[in-house]
Amino acid sequence: MGELLAFGLLQTALPRIAQPEVIAVGIAYFSVIVGISVWASRRTKTASDFFVAGNGIGLIALTVASVSTSVSGFAFIGGPGLIYAVGLGAMFIVLPASVTNVMGAWILAKRMRLLGEARGLMTVPDAIGARYRSRAAQGLSGVAILVGIVGYMATNALAMGVVINAIFGVGLGWGIWLGMGVTLAYSVAGGILAGIYNDVFQGTLMAVASFLVFVFILDAGGGLGHISRTILMTDPKFLSPWGKLTPLAVLSFFFVFSMGSLGQPQGVHKYYMLKDPLQLKWYPLLKTLGLVLVLLLYFSVGVGVKAFITNGRMPALSAPDQATPSLLLNVTPLLLAALVFSGVAAATMSTVNSFINIGAAVITHDLPVAFGRRMKNELAWGRGATVVIAVFASLVAQYSGSMVAFLGIFGWGLFASALVPALAVGLNWEGATRVGALTSIGVGLVVTLSLETASYFKVFTFPAGVTASAVALVLSLLAFFAVSWLTRRSAAASIDPDVHMIMDM
Amino acid sequence: MTVPANTTKRVARLILTLSTCAMAAGYASAFFRGGTPSWGPWLLAFGIPGALGGVMVLGAARERKGVGSLALPFAFVIITLTIGFCLALGLPANEGPGSTLWLGLPVRAAIVVYGIGLLPVVVLPVAYALTFETQTLSAEDVECVRQMGKLWTAREDAIADAPTDHDVKPL
Repeated sequence: MGELLAFGLLQTALPRIAQPEVIAVGIAYFSVIVGISVWASRRTKTASDFFVAGNGIGLIALTVASVSTSVSGFAFIGGPGLIYAVGLGAMFIVLPASVTNVMGAWILAKRMRLLGEARGLMTVPDAIGARYRSRAAQGLSGVAILVGIVGYMATNALAMGVVINAIFGVGLGWGIWLGMGVTLAYSVAGGILAGIYNDVFQGTLMAVASFLVFVFILDAGGGLGHISRTILMTDPKFLSPWGKLTPLAVLSFFFVFSMGSLGQPQGVHKYYMLKDPLQLKWYPLLKTLGLVLVLLLYFSVGVGVKAFITNGRMPALSAPDQATPSLLLNVTPLLLAALVFSGVAAATMSTVNSFINIGAAVITHDLPVAFGRRMKNELAWGRGATVVIAVFASLVAQYSGSMVAFLGIFGWGLFASALVPALAVGLNWEGATRVGALTSIGVGLVVTLSLETASYFKVFTFPAGVTASAVALVLSLLAFFAVSWLTRRSAAASIDPDVHMIMDM
Repeated sequence: MTVPANTTKRVARLILTLSTCAMAAGYASAFFRGGTPSWGPWLLAFGIPGALGGVMVLGAARERKGVGSLALPFAFVIITLTIGFCLALGLPANEGPGSTLWLGLPVRAAIVVYGIGLLPVVVLPVAYALTFETQTLSAEDVECVRQMGKLWTAREDAIADAPTDHDVKPL
């Protein structure tokens, strides 16, 4: 959802909210981040600590961190704006949360965690490489992740700049570098350990802010029934299941954000980090409840703002993405507004940190492995790569103009189409072959990039709201099945005994 | 009744493949000259629950054990999603000021938000937790993997001890 968040922030200039209460909450927020980072940096001593927190994160911490990374700030700005603009159809982006966590647990969590236990794997491409005994598959999936990360990082760096500028009034450029500087400092020093515990703090902040806003809106609107009646008086289509979109477009949202969740490295690679594999038992339940809590704001702000504008309680919006900022500044208490804006900053920083870490792992671990080499000091190289990625993303965010919006479009879809077949299906199907995996990763990369490029430059427009991400995911799945079937005689030879045992469990 | 995993997994893959084909046909229908035919979205309404159900069964089925008692929650969720999508598509679009509200929302919206968005939450994660030791992972499984991991570590250590004169070493 990171790219959607970016859109939410890129298409709008957030209003200046640099007031003493807001700045005080912002400073308090950054102070906690610094404190956690100093603590984490003292505990980071090896590459395993840096990339997967030494497989030592407890259940509650990992759950909250995972919620924080999964939701991103899209739930706070872009999502409510999207509901306000198109109606309930936008809910189909978040409704899959009812099945994705437990689906991920059955399909990936156990097997990836056990692969980590058996082989000390650290990255998503590691799992693909181990499954198919293929350095090429590991390298190609690493390339796909790196391409997607460029978009995510740049758009989130810009989004971070927008939020920090709104809170502190320092200007967009300084906002980007300030936000990236803080994130970089804790990423370099404490690696994923700092990221996880900062995510715990940030996720808690997001959940509290979301719940308070939800309760406030229901109370101010006289209950959901009254809010619905207000909307139905003037715009009944808003509350139809598809809103103002086509059923095909809305169902595509559900498909891409449910099946596609199985290929998002920022969520999937956290399975390696759980201290005890048996703690996976409660992970899906806790994460699903956490997500429902954090997403209350997404629904309530989108619907609430529509009702408040209809009955004249709020002024009309200059752009849909102003839904949350406008509600916070016009209707809610200032302290709650400050809390939510800090929550948005938290969400973008947690996303950036997670992707910095994953990108660094690809550069210092997966790509060298693909070429038959391994860095001698992965921790030092990892820290160096972290700096390079962060600086590069900040420069792209600051100087690429409108191109940054394009880069942000394809992140989720690229991860989904390139990784879901080879990783999620492949780890559960012994008949999947190395060639099938390579083909599906290649198809995902090429189809997503070419269709998104054609769509962005208006060379080609999809009819009826069909998205490039959905088409690419369907095509990569079909390519995976077809090529694996054609090369099925080589299937058994591409699985090591220990991997086979874990797949059978 | 326990169904052998090979059969369970084969059926799951078949459903996943057919569902993916149905979705591909649904997307292709959008390119028809006269606009998307009315049956186009229905292919997705059946294809999406099929694909998600297929991939869940594929992940949960264990060698020789199948999905065991998870068959019921899986069936419940697949049917819930299918009925939810179909009702949203099939019920008349008559939302208006006089609409009956279910828990604060018009009927079709309530089916989507509460049925698709919340109902699976109270079934699937609970079923996962309740069947975890028997169906997903036991302490014996973990111990078995740890033993295998020790062998792998010993092999890796032997490779790492091999002398190299570069900053990077061959795998």
